[in-house]
Amino acid sequence: MHEFSIALEILDTLEENGYLDGVKKVNSVKLAIGKYSGIDKNYLEFAFQNLSDERFKNVFTEFVPNDSDEIKIIEITVD
Amino acid sequence: MLKSNRFKRVSTGGRSLTVQKNALESNEINAKKNKAVFGKAFVMNILSSPGSGKTSLLESIVPALKLEGFNAAVIEGDVETDLDKKRIDNLGVPAYQIITNGTCHLDAKMVNVSLNSLDIKNADVIFIENVGNLVCPTSFNLGEDMKVVVLSVTEGDDKPLKYPAAFYKSKVMIINKTDLLPALDSDIAKIKENALSINKELIIFETSCRKKTTENIYNKGIADFVSFVKEKIRIKAAEFQKQNI
Repeated sequence: MHEFSIALEILDTLEENGYLDGVKKVNSVKLAIGKYSGIDKNYLEFAFQNLSDERFKNVFTEFVPNDSDEIKIIEITVD
Repeated sequence: MLKSNRFKRVSTGGRSLTVQKNALESNEINAKKNKAVFGKAFVMNILSSPGSGKTSLLESIVPALKLEGFNAAVIEGDVETDLDKKRIDNLGVPAYQIITNGTCHLDAKMVNVSLNSLDIKNADVIFIENVGNLVCPTSFNLGEDMKVVVLSVTEGDDKPLKYPAAFYKSKVMIINKTDLLPALDSDIAKIKENALSINKELIIFETSCRKKTTENIYNKGIADFVSFVKEKIRIKAAEFQKQNI
């Protein structure tokens, strides 16, 4: 169940790069998930929605598959 | 079974921000820090399911390297205990136990903290024994030079197909417990075929860590792997020296 750790890493990456400055709510996160990334998409969405950061409480996740091992944040929509 | 197709929903709108960043960027930053601290030492991140023989493998390899003048250090990852570190302590090399308290993998930050306590100044090679799990540890770069996946023959020849990420991301596969083959229907050729279908560049060793084996063939794989590690140590040390002139 490392999807919680991945969700926390994504939160850190977004915060450290200023994408969450002034954001009240994160509506969606679009990710590129490689088939060798070892990520269960269902669990990752569950992990996002259960982060202690309330802004992600109702977040929708969208996944773009590819043949690599990458996990990349493509886009977020926020209020 | 949690397998709904919930991902085709459209978002509820709001401002769209293009990010285009590695999701594990903060782990990568810590991995780079680790790499710098590792210095000339060649670092192997050892992955496998529980019970495949990672610690036994270290108990075979580390003394063999030591005999030839190569110094090892070991970082152990475990969910709950320091039992593996105690086994490594018996080998007389520096070892540090990371207890993850339930977390199913090591990440770069955990290794970063361990490097404050582990004496690696004389290490030629550092083995990181990850938590026994073939899925979660594959996502986290620890700053290693190479991932090594260990698979025991008792696990079945379909394991590489069922857990492809570990085999895709590793440079070496060790097929362990080969001494048990006569008692099993496991097909070693099939294990190799399946693993190579995921990663055609995998370097494969067949090993047994039984201490009381009477047939030398079981230990040839250990000797071959030790030679491989020695070569990697030399290459890394030479590269490090070149970069630091």
